[in-house]
Amino acid sequence: MPPLCSRGIPSPRRVLVAHTYQRAARCSAAGRRFFHSNECPPTETPFGAVEDAILAAAYRHVPEHGFSQRALGLGARDAGFLDISPSVLSYSPFSLIHYHLVTQRRSLASQSRQLFDDAKLQSQAQSTLAVSLDGRLSALTWARLMANKDTIHWWQEALAVMAHPSHLPASLNELARLADEICFLAGDKSTDASWYRKRASLSVVYSTTELFMTNDKSRDFAETRRFLDRRMDEVQTLGGIAGSLGQWTGFTITAAVNVLRSKGAPI
Amino acid sequence: MAPSRRLVCAARPFYARPVCSSTARPMTTSSPASAHGTSEAAVDAGTSKKCKPLTKEQREFLSAALRVNQAGELAATLIYQAQTPVLIRRHPHLRPLMKHMYDQEAAHLDTFNNLIHKHRVRPTALYPLWSVLATGLGWSTAVMGREAAMACTEAVETEIGGHYNGQIRTLLEMVSEWEAQGHDVTLEIRDLISTLRRIRDEELEHLDHALDHDAKKAEPHWLLTNVIRAGCRGAIWVSERV
Amino acid sequence: MVARRALWSCTRSAPRPCLSFVANPCRSFSASHGRRLGPSGPTPTSNRETHFGYETVTESEKQQRVAGVFSSVAESYDKMNDLMSLGVHRLWKDYFVSSLNPGATNPIGRPQQILDVAGGTGDIAFRMLQRAHNLNGNPNVHVTISDINPSMLAVGRQRSLALPASHQSSLSFLEANAEVLPPSIKDNSLDLYTVAFGIRNFSNIPAALREAHRVLKPGGVFACLEFSKVDKFPLLNAVYKQWSFSAIPLIGQLVAADRDSYQYLVESIERFPSQEEFRDMIVDAGFAVAGEGYEDLTGGIAAIHRGIKPL
Repeated sequence: MPPLCSRGIPSPRRVLVAHTYQRAARCSAAGRRFFHSNECPPTETPFGAVEDAILAAAYRHVPEHGFSQRALGLGARDAGFLDISPSVLSYSPFSLIHYHLVTQRRSLASQSRQLFDDAKLQSQAQSTLAVSLDGRLSALTWARLMANKDTIHWWQEALAVMAHPSHLPASLNELARLADEICFLAGDKSTDASWYRKRASLSVVYSTTELFMTNDKSRDFAETRRFLDRRMDEVQTLGGIAGSLGQWTGFTITAAVNVLRSKGAPI
Repeated sequence: MAPSRRLVCAARPFYARPVCSSTARPMTTSSPASAHGTSEAAVDAGTSKKCKPLTKEQREFLSAALRVNQAGELAATLIYQAQTPVLIRRHPHLRPLMKHMYDQEAAHLDTFNNLIHKHRVRPTALYPLWSVLATGLGWSTAVMGREAAMACTEAVETEIGGHYNGQIRTLLEMVSEWEAQGHDVTLEIRDLISTLRRIRDEELEHLDHALDHDAKKAEPHWLLTNVIRAGCRGAIWVSERV
Repeated sequence: MVARRALWSCTRSAPRPCLSFVANPCRSFSASHGRRLGPSGPTPTSNRETHFGYETVTESEKQQRVAGVFSSVAESYDKMNDLMSLGVHRLWKDYFVSSLNPGATNPIGRPQQILDVAGGTGDIAFRMLQRAHNLNGNPNVHVTISDINPSMLAVGRQRSLALPASHQSSLSFLEANAEVLPPSIKDNSLDLYTVAFGIRNFSNIPAALREAHRVLKPGGVFACLEFSKVDKFPLLNAVYKQWSFSAIPLIGQLVAADRDSYQYLVESIERFPSQEEFRDMIVDAGFAVAGEGYEDLTGGIAAIHRGIKPL
């Protein structure tokens, strides 16, 4: 959840024009969370060839110039396009942020393969990575956070753009997809209400940690790492409490019903 | 025979193999087939190169189908679970039947849980609501008596059977379209169709059991079954969306 | 509505609103110009059938009748757009131009050639010059306003006199049929091709799109602002339909004593393809699109379509 920084608050005029963001556009451009075929995965990428060429080239200028028109212009030139070419993208600077979000999310799958294979190789005893779901969730979340490393000095600005009303639905959608991806890659097999609980809490943890990271000056983001671990522990504790509470309620009800049955009540 | 039984006939032209009556079916369910698999392994297993990626509409349909099926099987499991203690207290001879039906439903739920995970479909957001409603329905019909409980089974399984038939029909249309265009049909879709067929047959078997156990003698039968069927349709409609 | 004789002075100080809801019975210049073919003559398919509002007519007849409509509304054009969109079209146009950001080059000051088709009154062109010259500091951006209708161009010419001299010198006018652009516009010569609230009046839209593709440089951008469909929001759609079909022709009659022209405008919007269909037409003409290829404004009452000519 990107914070509502003051920079993100737009003038009423812009809202009127740009509030018109249509769900369909971004959501289906990236493919919504629908039935995923494993044997015949969809071939389409979220970006068209021309779009991808411009964005990929512009993305290389982000560490220096931020998620900006300037980066897009330089990228377009690198890719052999004209100065005007980036204007084919709707919501120019946001499209670059969106590109970052999508490509980093998609690269998680290969990262997780590496992460957990290595973990399996060295570990057996020493690493909990291979065995515990929470350990894997934490590792993947950390991997995704580290993907922001090169652009972290632009990230507060990017969060402000993402919090703009016309971009907020797409940003939240992307956050939800990230949480889903991490849960899936970590091997979460829940198919009940906890499916939602896990993804929601992971989204909160991720976005707060991401915000913390933008102000972290410590070496190798050690402070951020500790922050993440604390949040993960909290979620685990809360989830544990919720789980126990549910179990206790179920047990009590069953016990009560059984007592009544033993007294001969026809229930 | 009850009109609901015609469900089997309605879909017959689409079958590749003849459907025999429920008596010919074994009384045990095969364990849910092959639904496990990590993402990587499953991707590597993708062998057929000529397959056609699913369109957006097809993916939407499959998501809604798996979601509603999981919710339905969850409800069925809970209905039987709630009915069983009340029923067998008064009619101990129903114990094996109830256990058999419950076990089958539990296996179905397991199958769909695995499919939901494997295909990354969002489970229904109203999971807790369906749990409460299904338990309430099972318990209250069981308290009303054996006939009412069986009428509940009759109504639910009639709706479910028709619902599965609709899904199978749509899937077969997809398959025949692919075949006409010369595309390979992926194993997962073929498996899904055969799984749905098996489960549909088992649900209709439950319907037969319910009819054999005096479901029609429930009072007032028409009211009970129609209310429950309308409720089922409503729940299906909602679960496909939420 | 001021008296007709005062219209020049009114349009000269361009966007100043000059509305009063007094019907003007002597306003009757609708048929005076306009019953003429476009400057490039008939298109090769001029006998093919197309739509004029809800009527089916031949393409050449549509050209003539559209010319009639715009000749008759040329001078109340701003007012018409204000009525159609409740004034929001000004915001749409601002957003359209700022999202295209003409003149932002690297290094600053590289020349850009822009063609604003169906831009008679200069709404888009003036905004682009303002953006390019003043905001992006690039005086080497040249905008050509093209329109098939001399009455509309006359309004634009008149208004351009109020612009700063530097803007005026970067502006030229061209009377041309967008389906057959004159040879003065060469292949692969433009950076940006814009058309705002014009393309639905074209007799042969695919031909115009192919023509746009021809004249743009590789990497050049086609951008279109047009009324579109509100299908995604049924409630807003109902209100909008009610407004456009009942209120607009009536107001047209009261304000401009010209119900038919306004009726045509409403029907032509209804006839125009949906966002997706029009996007596919753009792709068919050889353009690449990014994302969905369009962006809805105010729920889809208008939409911006963009395409880029691949390298």
